[in-house]
Amino acid sequence: MAIDLSQFYQVFFEEAGEHLAAMEGLLLEVDVEAPDLETLNAIFRAAHSIKGGAGTFGFGDMAEVTHVLETLLDRLRKQELAPTVEMIDAFLQAGDVLKEQLAAHQSGTEYEDPRVAEVCQRLEILARLDPTEGGDAIEPVAASPAAPREPVTWQLRFRPSEIGPLSGADLRALADALVMLGPLERVREDAEDLHHWRLTSASDERGIRDVIAFLGDPEPVEITVDSAVSQQTASACLEDEEEDGFGFFAGAPGRAPALEQNEDEDGFGFFAGAPGSEQALDQEESGFGLFGGSPGMQEVAAVASRSRAEEAQGFGFFDAAPGVPEEAGDHETSASAAQPLRSIKGGERKPMAAGAARPAAAETSIRVSVEKVDQLINLVGELVITHAMLAESASNLDPVLFERIFSGLSNLERNSRDLQQAVMSIRMMPINFVFNRFPRVVRDTAASLGKKVTLKLVGEDTELDKGLIERLADPLNHLVRNSIDHGIELPEQRREAGKPEIGEILLRASHRGGSVVVEVSDDGAGLSREKLLAKAAKQGIPMPENPTDKEVWQLIFHAGFSTAEKVTDISGRGVGMDVVRRNIEEMNGRVDIDSKPGRGTQITIRLPLTLAILDGLSVRMGEEIFILPLTAIRESIQPRPEQFKSVAGRGQLALVNGEYLPLVVLHDVFGFAGEKIRHEDGILVIVDTNEGRAALLVEELVAQHQVVIKSLETNYRKVEGVSGATIMGDGRVALILDVDALVRLNRKAA
Amino acid sequence: MNVLSQEGASTMSDDSREYLTFTLGDEEYGIDILKVQEIRGYDAVTKIANSPAFIKGVINMRGVIVPIIDMRLKFNLGQVEYNQFTVVIILNIAGRVIGMVVDGVSDVIALGRDKISSAPEFGAVMDTDYIDGLTTLEDRMIIMVDIEKLMTSAEMGLVEQVQTAVA
Repeated sequence: MAIDLSQFYQVFFEEAGEHLAAMEGLLLEVDVEAPDLETLNAIFRAAHSIKGGAGTFGFGDMAEVTHVLETLLDRLRKQELAPTVEMIDAFLQAGDVLKEQLAAHQSGTEYEDPRVAEVCQRLEILARLDPTEGGDAIEPVAASPAAPREPVTWQLRFRPSEIGPLSGADLRALADALVMLGPLERVREDAEDLHHWRLTSASDERGIRDVIAFLGDPEPVEITVDSAVSQQTASACLEDEEEDGFGFFAGAPGRAPALEQNEDEDGFGFFAGAPGSEQALDQEESGFGLFGGSPGMQEVAAVASRSRAEEAQGFGFFDAAPGVPEEAGDHETSASAAQPLRSIKGGERKPMAAGAARPAAAETSIRVSVEKVDQLINLVGELVITHAMLAESASNLDPVLFERIFSGLSNLERNSRDLQQAVMSIRMMPINFVFNRFPRVVRDTAASLGKKVTLKLVGEDTELDKGLIERLADPLNHLVRNSIDHGIELPEQRREAGKPEIGEILLRASHRGGSVVVEVSDDGAGLSREKLLAKAAKQGIPMPENPTDKEVWQLIFHAGFSTAEKVTDISGRGVGMDVVRRNIEEMNGRVDIDSKPGRGTQITIRLPLTLAILDGLSVRMGEEIFILPLTAIRESIQPRPEQFKSVAGRGQLALVNGEYLPLVVLHDVFGFAGEKIRHEDGILVIVDTNEGRAALLVEELVAQHQVVIKSLETNYRKVEGVSGATIMGDGRVALILDVDALVRLNRKAA
Repeated sequence: MNVLSQEGASTMSDDSREYLTFTLGDEEYGIDILKVQEIRGYDAVTKIANSPAFIKGVINMRGVIVPIIDMRLKFNLGQVEYNQFTVVIILNIAGRVIGMVVDGVSDVIALGRDKISSAPEFGAVMDTDYIDGLTTLEDRMIIMVDIEKLMTSAEMGLVEQVQTAVA
């Protein structure tokens, strides 16, 4: 019974992605001067888990990279080597390579890049450093793949039958071919089973595989560095101590991931035995084994040379086919056979002090598709609307006679509101999910520009809607890079200006009222009013006389506006800030800039808590009710007749506070028939649009609501001037106005 | 207002299908009943800006925003007053929910494919492209409409692809 591994791929992709992200975060935390053992251990575990998963699922390329990564990490955490900046860089690079490999696998392709070999080599060189040299005498790392290398002893393990139909003669030919690379020792050869050869060669793993490829498929051959060389575990296989890998062991015939713990090298426990495959699951790990047991297969929990049975948490999926003896882990193993596929979060076990951490104490979580959550949110939204409808119909009842109805209604209101909040909170995620990428962004960007920048994060636990978080990433990324490129000065300039050499970028998130505020501020040079104005004049952007600072700063949001003297690959092309603003506005948010020359710039993004709910003002025009997003509204005034002006008989304007604003009469724009009101009987709502302010003429302001946004496109299509619809308390549909589009429509109509 | 009684189902033969018939002015039309989600009375609609006249607007149907089309306006059968007998057939077409205002719903009939004769080319209120065929029921002619084709067609402007044609 072969198990289709591909069904678990997605789990692996997600897990590996998380592990990679965790690893990167931890790497950036490492203080080279005083490395924290905990952190190193955590990094090691992350790498190890990826390797375990990659190996099991047959993503050999990833396993290969993580293996070298792990080898070096292992030396670090055993404190045989002191971490250096070079190492951290190499690790980060390896992490990038892994990410790309992961992405490639996810899209079903192979990732081919010379960088892979380069990174591996770099790590290998670092790992092979003499411990006594410590971190001081690091040899130049930029070794090209062709650089001569120290001969390494390689362990080769394979089954001839897997490589291809190899006869005895072919095996000899293979051996002869390998001898060309270096001395070969044929350690062990069972006719049917595993061959174990030892090759001492300067060639790298790829080279060996290439040789094998002449005669057969090199994939099943397991090639590892003989641990005797590095005094390290260099564990032959996927499992190691303190393991938290998730092993999905396919017991399909022909695959024999022989897993073992291998603390002392050379103690390879190979269990030749039953035809089929054996799996050895080891202890002190929370490996999740998925054993496909077909008849005749044996799952053998193997103890390699030394058994250190502690804290085993083997979550096994045993397919109890007839005649399958099962035994997972050993001694104290709590192999619970019917554990559901626990979202492999258990892998985030903290290194435990005294073997504590019971499985039950582990944080439990489930993975649920966002669609299901959205459906729940929709349903709760309906509930709230239904309640509002009930309340409205009940409002003309006598409160004394129908006391119970009223108390029931108020209970219902409280409960449905709580329910709504609880459901909404499912979608809420800490903003950390965006923030945690920035240490890396800042580090890389600053390094490439030769600037010194530290990043300070504040309020990482601030929660907001997942949808917003995803869409916030790009704009924030742009702002941060911009701040480093344009804001923070070079160290010399900073010194001259009497500021500390190291610039600081601050990312701060907080809740303010019903919205989330994210600030990106730097202590750099600030925006230059003169430069911006000069640039605006050059580009023919109209500016009022004596513009306020705010108006000047807003210039940088103009499309194609860049004051950078030279275009770099980081910023300066002038595309960007306008895109940032557009992105934020699409989320019903807004961006503000504040800057002080020589002191720095602060960009403030204000976002609603969620995409699903909007704070709006309902306005009436004839019989129709419309919702205006509160974020767009500046003020509303009762106009006097003399405030309305017209130009050439058309294109009406409104004079508000000494400024002529385009007048948008909803009736005309939407082409509704019906009685027209006199302008002076209506109310002017001044709104901010992306083309400046505009005056919207409505008949009446009704009330302020929080409305649930519904798409018109689900069953209809996009309507110009309208961003969506909502259902009012009386069950009627009200359209949500899109002021930017309204101004455009108005111009077309005029 | 549920007229979807199961009468007539008994006469179903193997290859026959059920059709919902409705009247528009003096004409009687039939549509595949599997496309019908429900039938309800006419409620106040919220008008949609700059839409063709036959799109009355949108309604809230248990939290779902559903566009309402007046077939009488679409087929130029004149303005008809809305009263308590005005009926909206809610259709489920291509994953979308669309409401259609008609004069009245008459019956559910089961018909074999052979009972439907192909329509000749004629200057009907709608393009013959959307007419499946004609059938006779007790001396009345029923026009069989391929409602899915009609509703997703460009001239209805219900589906996004045709936005430019309307806007």
